[in-house]
Amino acid sequence: MKNRLKVLRAERNWTQAELAEALDVSRQTINAIETGKFDPSLPLAFRAARLFGLRIEEIFHDDDGRTPATEIK
Amino acid sequence: MNQLRAAENGYQSRICTSSIRLLCWSGAWLAATALMRFGPKFLWNQASILTLLAIGLDVAVGVGMILANKKYVMELDELQQKVYLNALGITVGVAVIAGVPFSVMGLYHVIPFHPEIWHMLLLMGLTFMFSIAYGNWRYR
Repeated sequence: MKNRLKVLRAERNWTQAELAEALDVSRQTINAIETGKFDPSLPLAFRAARLFGLRIEEIFHDDDGRTPATEIK
Repeated sequence: MNQLRAAENGYQSRICTSSIRLLCWSGAWLAATALMRFGPKFLWNQASILTLLAIGLDVAVGVGMILANKKYVMELDELQQKVYLNALGITVGVAVIAGVPFSVMGLYHVIPFHPEIWHMLLLMGLTFMFSIAYGNWRYR
């Protein structure tokens, strides 16, 4: 699963540590998600979506780059 | 810059508290185990009632340590829980795979010493530590 977490974080000038604190996880977890080594659970993905004010599929998408929304279209 | 609001009682702070609690319980269990092991010989001349009390204390403190460990694991975030679970799986596997041949070697005197439980505890402890270190390195 790919994600735009790093880009979204950079746009807001947040550090990994700040994002980790806001999402109530370790900085290591944020780094592992950003580098694609670890896929977050649904509750954590929801928390990230809520924090960025986006829908989950606008942050996380399948490895082939298609989001569920584009598949429906 | 958008301001981020941290959780009321932050992750790092909770983990720090849980780690200290677990460390205290582990130390207490170690002390209770030492008392149970060496007390009868060096402190109370093998008086049965005191030995039973020491065993009871060791079990009670052991239960406290287990609960503290459970609380610590529940406080970990999902990645840390995954690392912990992997390490536990490897540790149990190594204990089973190594434990049986080790006891057989002792039984047929292939090794020049008698296998003791602390050999297994040492192996499990080292395996768990290396597995945690590997997991943290893998997801660093």
